[in-house]
Amino acid sequence: MKTKLLPLIIVVFSFGLFSCNDQCKETRVTRRLTPFTRSLAEIRSSVKAESKRELIRPGKIYTKGNYLFINEIKEGIHVIDNSDPSNPKFISFINIPGNGDIAVRNNILYADSYSDLVSLDITDPANAKEVGRVQNVFQFGQFDGVGWSLMGQNSSTGMISIQDFTVDFVTETVTTSCEENVSPMLSSWLDSGFLSSASFNSAGSASSAQPNGQAGSMARFALYDKFLYTVQQNRLHLFNISNPAQPTDFTTVNTNFSIETIFPYQNKLFLGTTTGMIIFDNSDPAAPTQISVFQHGRACDPVVVHNDIAYVTLRTGTACQGIQNQLDLVDVSNPSNPKLIKTYQMENPHGLSIDFPTLYLCEGDKGLKVFDVTDKMEIDKHMISHFQDIDAYDVISLGKTLMLIGKDGFYQFDVTDPRNIRELSKIPVNKAIP
Amino acid sequence: MKILFSLFISIMVLGSVNAQDVVVKNRFVNHTEFGGLFGRVKYSSGSQQNTVESRTSLTLQTFNGIQVSRKLGAGIILGADWYKSALINPVAAGIRYDLSGRPNARFFVIADAGYGFTWLHQDSDGYKTKGGWMVNPGIGLRIGNVSTSSFTLSLTYKRQEVSAEKPLLWNQIERDEERVYNRIAARIGISF
Repeated sequence: MKTKLLPLIIVVFSFGLFSCNDQCKETRVTRRLTPFTRSLAEIRSSVKAESKRELIRPGKIYTKGNYLFINEIKEGIHVIDNSDPSNPKFISFINIPGNGDIAVRNNILYADSYSDLVSLDITDPANAKEVGRVQNVFQFGQFDGVGWSLMGQNSSTGMISIQDFTVDFVTETVTTSCEENVSPMLSSWLDSGFLSSASFNSAGSASSAQPNGQAGSMARFALYDKFLYTVQQNRLHLFNISNPAQPTDFTTVNTNFSIETIFPYQNKLFLGTTTGMIIFDNSDPAAPTQISVFQHGRACDPVVVHNDIAYVTLRTGTACQGIQNQLDLVDVSNPSNPKLIKTYQMENPHGLSIDFPTLYLCEGDKGLKVFDVTDKMEIDKHMISHFQDIDAYDVISLGKTLMLIGKDGFYQFDVTDPRNIRELSKIPVNKAIP
Repeated sequence: MKILFSLFISIMVLGSVNAQDVVVKNRFVNHTEFGGLFGRVKYSSGSQQNTVESRTSLTLQTFNGIQVSRKLGAGIILGADWYKSALINPVAAGIRYDLSGRPNARFFVIADAGYGFTWLHQDSDGYKTKGGWMVNPGIGLRIGNVSTSSFTLSLTYKRQEVSAEKPLLWNQIERDEERVYNRIAARIGISF
């Protein structure tokens, strides 16, 4: 028996050794960018109020008084009458090509439109009118990680244009070594390219200063004193709005970081960058000065501050790369020396909002998490609720109500009792975004 | 009484082929082995086409069950397979079927099938590894008497599926990996 089997075993073994290949296939979905050019003249002439539209690709949210502004990425702004949060009504759509950010003071709305900053009179929200424009102040920008740039003189027409990209998605399959040896930083050489330059977000002043509206934590515009602060790439850009309808280019402050969000708190500015949180002293609003930097690994990171504690979320993502998904609590009582209190692991944190002691944290497609942060060392043990079946990008907490935007729509919740959050209304997006 | 006795006898006769069966049948059996999983991988990385690398991984497993008949043992396998980037714990159902041979050295057939879990695996940041199905058929050589402890050598083919989510690179919105580990497993062990 043995003698019969042995040759068979040798044959099988040899064949096995020859044919035993690990087979590893990586499937990846990559965005493919196709460039196109838009003339600035055409872009500038198309800023106007139009009839109301449905949400298709909502971006940031901004609220002022009874009105709600929802950015339609790169298209414009939905104006919504929100006097009854359980029944918000679309009023109009302001067509602003290349818009991503919003800030409102009194009856003037500031918005970016590719390279320009536009001011609109919204005294009649149904019929917004352009009243001012600062031209060619932003050189680059980015929407959802896809950049655009301001092109120089076009010799044939003598006009300046915007180079933008259309996006489609390509699925490819490659064989791999079955090992985790591909560093996500491999492609960081692309960082230097303009594609990864920071986008404009209008950062909202989270303070409840009466004349100003309120933005979410993903914002890149902030209003403070007689200035509008915008963050763009590595620059903090100040516009003088002493004449609210006619903003003027005031100054820029350069940093060494790629800035993503801005959050004014008391007389400080907290800037979320791809590699850390920068604290600026803003006691002289005309000349913010950098006090300190709290560095972290490469990630996207909105920040909110309450009671000398900064809540910083780090997430992985196309625009930011990085491999961390976490919530950092940073003690900023001494702004020149921020100290990490504790790090909590999260899934994919985006925007956040604090209504102490309740912290609302967007987890992207993993939903919204609500934490009690009274005990700052044990936040993870005090999760009050987790809404898993919504997509959450950014939130604004207004005390009794909570506004939330995600890929699937805009939600308002009654949060009078954080342990018993009720949905008041939902404006759905009319198609899913990949 | 006579009828009951006849029934008992007939069950004894039908249920066991010979006297030895009565001894071995339903006996607890353990077969514990360790060894290596040998294979290689061929992959393309960027402009570097068809890179081939050898792979060797540690494998441990223990089979615990009962001797169903004189030749057939059936049981549960618990194991640990330490691949380069995944520590997998297979849990499987398996059989050991003795082929005829000399009393002190016999070949036996191995057939295991189950699921590999990632209980003990630790992911690098950004990775999420999930287990998958596993099959492990092969042949072994038992050296020693069947009713006492024996020493075993075995050669099997092992297929283990694993899937992993990977951190996104520039401009990617999704990145997953399906792994199939195709290995020759050479093990030594003891059985009792």
